[in-house]
Amino acid sequence: MRANWVAYARGYVWVKLIGKQSEAFVNAATRERIELWDISFGRAGELTFGVSIPDFFRLRPILRQHGCRTRIISRHGLPFRMARLSRRKTFAAGMLGFVLILFILSSLIWDVRIEGSSAIPEEKILQAAKAEGIYDYQWSFRLGNAATLSQRLAQRLPEAAWVGVEKKGTSIKITVVDSTKPEQKKLEGPRHLVAKTDAVITKIVAENGRPKVERNDRVRKGEILISGILGSETDQKAVVSKGKVMGLVWHEYRIATPLETKTKNLTGESQERKYLIIGNRALQISGYGNSAFDSSEIRTTVQRAQLWQRLLPFGTMKEHELEVVEIEKILTPEQAKEAGLSQARAELLAKCGPESTIKAENILHEQTENGKVMLTVLFEVEQSIEVERPIF
Amino acid sequence: MMRVSRKLRKWTATILDLPQDVALDLPRITMIGGLQLTVENHRGILHFSPESLRLAMDNGEMEVTGRDLVIRNIGTEEVFVEGQIMGVQLHVKGKTPG
Repeated sequence: MRANWVAYARGYVWVKLIGKQSEAFVNAATRERIELWDISFGRAGELTFGVSIPDFFRLRPILRQHGCRTRIISRHGLPFRMARLSRRKTFAAGMLGFVLILFILSSLIWDVRIEGSSAIPEEKILQAAKAEGIYDYQWSFRLGNAATLSQRLAQRLPEAAWVGVEKKGTSIKITVVDSTKPEQKKLEGPRHLVAKTDAVITKIVAENGRPKVERNDRVRKGEILISGILGSETDQKAVVSKGKVMGLVWHEYRIATPLETKTKNLTGESQERKYLIIGNRALQISGYGNSAFDSSEIRTTVQRAQLWQRLLPFGTMKEHELEVVEIEKILTPEQAKEAGLSQARAELLAKCGPESTIKAENILHEQTENGKVMLTVLFEVEQSIEVERPIF
Repeated sequence: MMRVSRKLRKWTATILDLPQDVALDLPRITMIGGLQLTVENHRGILHFSPESLRLAMDNGEMEVTGRDLVIRNIGTEEVFVEGQIMGVQLHVKGKTPG
């Protein structure tokens, strides 16, 4: 019982016994089943011992019987601590306040997070959550349970297929899953399909509307190919005409190709220079000396020091000087013509759309002049020629 | 009458091979080195000072001598003494000490 936590909880005192019949007193105490411990003699010859507080009060009649008195030397244990604490009001209040503040702060919602890749803007979800009482610095106990919250939140967000609310400590996680919707169709007004350019029709497929032309017809620019108006003169209806019309179109091209071409080539030789940057000044560190190359290209990379997201005004700069050689190439007129034509074909196909094909090409005029080959070419291209024109 | 019952108990203890202290209600003294001493079945303290502790027994007294003796714990049956123990003497009633 001595000095363990039970004794500490009940509280105990060290007592000095003043009186003659100490042995008889100890015997009487034992007979009353009062526990005394560490009975020893002090310097002056008086008996000292430890006794728990409840037992100490039971000692009184025995003391009176044997004509002894006690003097308390020291007090130990929780009851005395509590008594001392009750004297220090502010300290006790602080302790209580700490527990209270901890409790209050931990029952606030500190963080509302939204997860899941949703097309619904986060603002809207937060607004709906706020309407349901989920927002920062809300009391945690004022929220309902997660299941009903998510149900009510889902009602407020009809675009979402499923809404999950998960409360973890002082933060709330809202997971939104979008419902998949069919793709929205473009709004289309009634229209005709008309010719983009003058052409000869090679193919016409009308999905909707009435075709006005046939294969091998010549059409002018702006002529209606597929009409969006159905019905007779008196009873007509405008529809969205749809279809595919292919036609042969002639393109005249003027091409000029130089016989001499110059290309810059890198030789593979290079030099490096390093600089230290401070503010807007650069201090060269390595690669001194003049450039060894007649002509060169310089590639510069700047590396600025970074502290988190901020760029600092220090860094290094690296200059890579690459030797360049110009190579002249002289083409024969045949080669120049072929190069010019292939370039023209590529340009033409890019311009006319992906479905176009070159059916024929005729060189109308060819001339070599001032180191250039001049060509005039007529290309025959099959391409889609329809363009929409709305009916008002 | 007492003598008969005591004899009977002693006889039982011998027959059943029981420890004497259980059967005869004698004090049992356990000493650890010269530092700790436990006495069971004592009958109260007669005298206590840092140099000696006299305990009452059924048929006489027991004296523990030493220095800086401290009664660590005391119960109705048991005493636990600590200190520099130098000697334990038994004084049986009616006989000269020794």
